Amino acid sequence: MAQKKNAVIVGGGTSKFGVRQAHILDMIQEAARACANDIPGLKPADIDGLIVATTMAGRHSSALNTAPLVVHRLGLKPTSLCIRLDTLCAGSNSAVIVAKGMIESGIAEVILITGAEKVYMPQRWETNYTQLAVNDHDWDSAMGLGVPPPFFAMIAKMHMKRYGTTKEQMAHVSVTNYAYGDGHVNGHFAGRTLTMEQALEARLIADPFGLYDCCPLSDGASAIIVASEERAKAMSDKPLVYLRGTGQHATHSMSAGWPGDTLAEWPHLKKAGEVAFKNAKLTPKDMDVIQTHDCFTISEIIELEELGFCNKGEGGAFAASGAIGINGVIPTNTDGGLLVYGHPFGASGARQAIEICKQLQGRAIHQVKNAAFGLTHNLSGTCAQHTVVVYGKEPVK
Amino acid sequence: MAELQKAEITGTPALNGTYISEMDMWPFETQEFNRIYPFYDNLRAGKFTTTKCKKCGHVTYPPQVICPKCWAEELEWVELPQRAKVVTLTETQAGAPIGFEPPLIMAWLTFGEKSPLKHLLGRIIHCKEGELKEGDEVKFVTFSVPAHPIEVKKDTKICDRVFYAFEPVK
Ligand SMILES: [Zn+2]
Repeated sequence: MAQKKNAVIVGGGTSKFGVRQAHILDMIQEAARACANDIPGLKPADIDGLIVATTMAGRHSSALNTAPLVVHRLGLKPTSLCIRLDTLCAGSNSAVIVAKGMIESGIAEVILITGAEKVYMPQRWETNYTQLAVNDHDWDSAMGLGVPPPFFAMIAKMHMKRYGTTKEQMAHVSVTNYAYGDGHVNGHFAGRTLTMEQALEARLIADPFGLYDCCPLSDGASAIIVASEERAKAMSDKPLVYLRGTGQHATHSMSAGWPGDTLAEWPHLKKAGEVAFKNAKLTPKDMDVIQTHDCFTISEIIELEELGFCNKGEGGAFAASGAIGINGVIPTNTDGGLLVYGHPFGASGARQAIEICKQLQGRAIHQVKNAAFGLTHNLSGTCAQHTVVVYGKEPVK
Repeated sequence: MAELQKAEITGTPALNGTYISEMDMWPFETQEFNRIYPFYDNLRAGKFTTTKCKKCGHVTYPPQVICPKCWAEELEWVELPQRAKVVTLTETQAGAPIGFEPPLIMAWLTFGEKSPLKHLLGRIIHCKEGELKEGDEVKFVTFSVPAHPIEVKKDTKICDRVFYAFEPVK
């Protein structure tokens, strides 16, 4: 049997995230261009596989079979893989799992992953209305569950009640992430700063969340190249960043199947993390930098707990202690995360992968000293599924 | 000219007055489009029901065509408790999806130790903002929702629809 190959992330780039005056295919072209700028040795003809991650393209851009459209606009001629993939907010992170398997097995050599969403419509009501179709439509959505803030607000209330988490602790997350967002010109909220006072005095969105506890919905696209070790060396002289381990766990689609004792416990994330760490032959203690799904401040707090970076229930105090800062125990969401860089669902996983790639290559804007191991995490839907990918400067031996 | 201006404003004249099921906020409840249609018939009779597996006894929610535990096809309809307790709740003023009048009140409900349905996200109606509290008891309530047309050969059949929510026990 042929020896298993190693899959690496070579580099990547994003379009400007925000409320864009652009079509989804325009933004994918921008992201591809940014990706090529990041990998000067990349030639479109080298790409043999394509994965397009998007949720809303079918409804918002009338582009149900999106991959051929991307093939045409980017001038690609894929021979190993040409698919659209949808796991909502984890789309391009799921694509990394698929790409890893395709490359390790030798089926593909160079895969372009692009994630993109056109969220904002000519009339704003339509975006909120579409959200009814991304949950379990006939059951939870028919109860009024559309945009995420109300659901995550209940999670926050429950975490505050059970573990004593405070609004101040949650504000520490947003203030930290705004500091990290500085310098990321393509971020949705690029150039903005946030103080504790501003965070705590912001207008209420859904009790207990103020404006800065919630990530924005964004238009935008991201693109990364995942390749075999050999092909990566041929197109780039930057340090290799290996895809070491992955885990993806789903337990339900609607509220009746929620797996936790209460909304404050996310056992499905714990499981996804354990699987990814096991496959990567690493532990949370090995991680130097992580990107977690900070759709809300409370999400980042619970993710720190369930992924094993602190004890259950202590995420709030852990975040507030400075642990997530650049000199902390575990620098988290070092490009501003969803809260500041923004959240075009299918594009977010690849955006996180770009930041981990740059951190491990030693060229991030807010560089963690000697970062050797990192992690990306997305949750999707109303916290129904969790996707975790672990990266390292060395392959699994 | 007046016609033309109207067309420009409405965007897609060909669809004017047309039912677009892809944009429907409610389920297809009719037998023509759903094998679990008895759930909706039961709602019309004021009953909150689901399917129970005759092979392994597992009660699932929502109702299904096969048992998610053992994949058996032999299922029967059983009633669920109609009273629940509010664990936590959220009230939306701005940003509720179109079709849901603010304040949109949703609560995380528990149905008690003996219930096969442990928890559910439920919309609370007949309730003013600020009225509902954690620990309150709520009860199952049904209401009609807009009907939709389906083509039956050359005719159009109108399908009446129903849905459910919860209201405070006063
Ligand atoms: Zn069964």
